[in-house]
Amino acid sequence: MQALQGVNLELHRKEVVGLIGPNGAGKSTLVNVLTGFDFPSEGTVELEGRDITGWSSHRRARAGLTRSFQHSRSFRDLSVRENVEVSALGVGAGPRAARKRADELLAVLGLADLAEASAGALAHGDERRLGVARVLATDPAFVLLDEPAAGLPESEVPQFAAVIRSVRDDHGGGVLLIDHNMALVMAVCDRIHVLDQGRTLAAGTPAEIRSNLDVAAAYLGETAVTGADA
Amino acid sequence: MRRYVEGAVQLLGPVALVVVVGILSTTVSSANRIYFLNALVSVAMVVAIYVFVGNSGVLSFGQISFVAVGAFAAGVMTVPLDSKKGVLTELFPLLRDHSIGNIPSLLLAAGIGGLFALVVGLPLMRLSGLAAGIATFALLEITHNILQQWTKIGPGATTLSLVPQTTGAWQATLGALVAIAGAFAYQRSRLGRQLRASREDPAAAQGIGVDVHRQRLWAFTFSGALAGFAGALSVHLLGSITTDQVYLELTFLTLAMLVFGGLTSLWGAVVGALAISGLDSFLGQAEQGVHIGFKLDLPTGSRLVFLAAIMALVLILRPSGLTGGGEFRIPGLRRAGPREEAPAPPA
Repeated sequence: MQALQGVNLELHRKEVVGLIGPNGAGKSTLVNVLTGFDFPSEGTVELEGRDITGWSSHRRARAGLTRSFQHSRSFRDLSVRENVEVSALGVGAGPRAARKRADELLAVLGLADLAEASAGALAHGDERRLGVARVLATDPAFVLLDEPAAGLPESEVPQFAAVIRSVRDDHGGGVLLIDHNMALVMAVCDRIHVLDQGRTLAAGTPAEIRSNLDVAAAYLGETAVTGADA
Repeated sequence: MRRYVEGAVQLLGPVALVVVVGILSTTVSSANRIYFLNALVSVAMVVAIYVFVGNSGVLSFGQISFVAVGAFAAGVMTVPLDSKKGVLTELFPLLRDHSIGNIPSLLLAAGIGGLFALVVGLPLMRLSGLAAGIATFALLEITHNILQQWTKIGPGATTLSLVPQTTGAWQATLGALVAIAGAFAYQRSRLGRQLRASREDPAAAQGIGVDVHRQRLWAFTFSGALAGFAGALSVHLLGSITTDQVYLELTFLTLAMLVFGGLTSLWGAVVGALAISGLDSFLGQAEQGVHIGFKLDLPTGSRLVFLAAIMALVLILRPSGLTGGGEFRIPGLRRAGPREEAPAPPA
């Protein structure tokens, strides 16, 4: 079985690209292939001109291509701050720089008050934001966020959108955002790529996607009813 | 500032406990002193195992290999030259014709333990879960048989004796403290924290750039070095050793200690080592008959039956061990934040 066929996706720095599609469309497979958790039977993955198809996931992360997971556990016996610090350390930051970056991110993500708390005791929404903070702490050139907003209360979505924009605008990073929250995707993305059954169904600006009838049929109609179903 | 205070407190518990046992060992009769010193050497061994198992979350039945290698390296190299030429005649000339002192012997054991762990860790650390456990068990078997049969590097199946007994109260206490300090420094270092992160979620750790294999290899190597060092302390405590003393029973005992105290913390390793070592010594005596208000005379073999039952009970009733898997804390001096109101994390 082929999970993906003929999909071609480009992500540049300083842009946010949305990746949407119904469950089983191959979104997570695509992210796995891009980040080295799955390897493609055909095709290549390139990072800034270099062929990285055979690279391990941690090597890609060090080269600036990182990701979050749909269900990532926080590193429970570390404090919230240490969880973020360890990310920065992983890509070679010094202890002092790691701490500074951790404190910045925790502040931006509204976790500053919990910095000293044990990560094992976090509420679900906080744990998700911690997962995002952890990824951003690597100061990635490119970051792939796999359903970062699932389970987030609607009231926190605008704040979350601001964080994603800040990666693009303040840190010059490229973001690939997978999420079922269409309001978030439409609000922050510069371009949107729609997958269905392993193929590209449509690609374009949010306005173009919104007016695309195929997309509406394949995806928007469904999620309008089911909502975030991760 | 706060984190340094917190770190100091975490270290305080294990250090204080070891120092107390060290001081107690000087107040008891010389017949009983061996039990206290044995407990301190156990601390060094269990802390060594903890460095790998506790930080990586990968179970290893093979760490006693490094204890064995360290013990025999230290033992063979410190037997006085005149007796060595008479007893260990088949040794390689380099080993037969040289002897080293107390401190060099401990360092040599650490170095050889670490080197051995590095070499075998290169292939082994690519495994995880059940495969890792079984492969490390294979390592124990290989090491045991080589040490038992190869008389060019050691005494083979006979007892290695005439080893200088330099591990007294001072060295046992200091040795345990060195292991604790090393393990503590490691787990707070960037290497240690990356490995602990991978223990909770290897994929997420890789996603942020942690090279899980390499981090496991470092921990395995450092664990091997500490285990070799602990082996040297042990052989210099006992004065003699056979390959059977650093094999299955010791593997079981040290893992029971680690499980009893709590696999995931240094505090757990130290508490478990002291508690189970004390119980082990008591049960050993009870098998010979002991007076504790009444005469307790247990049938031979009940020592290990009892200890194994305790290990199973702890796994059933309190899987995170006596300490709950956390580091030492002074009650009332807690971390800020929602820890208190937070719901208990799922087991």
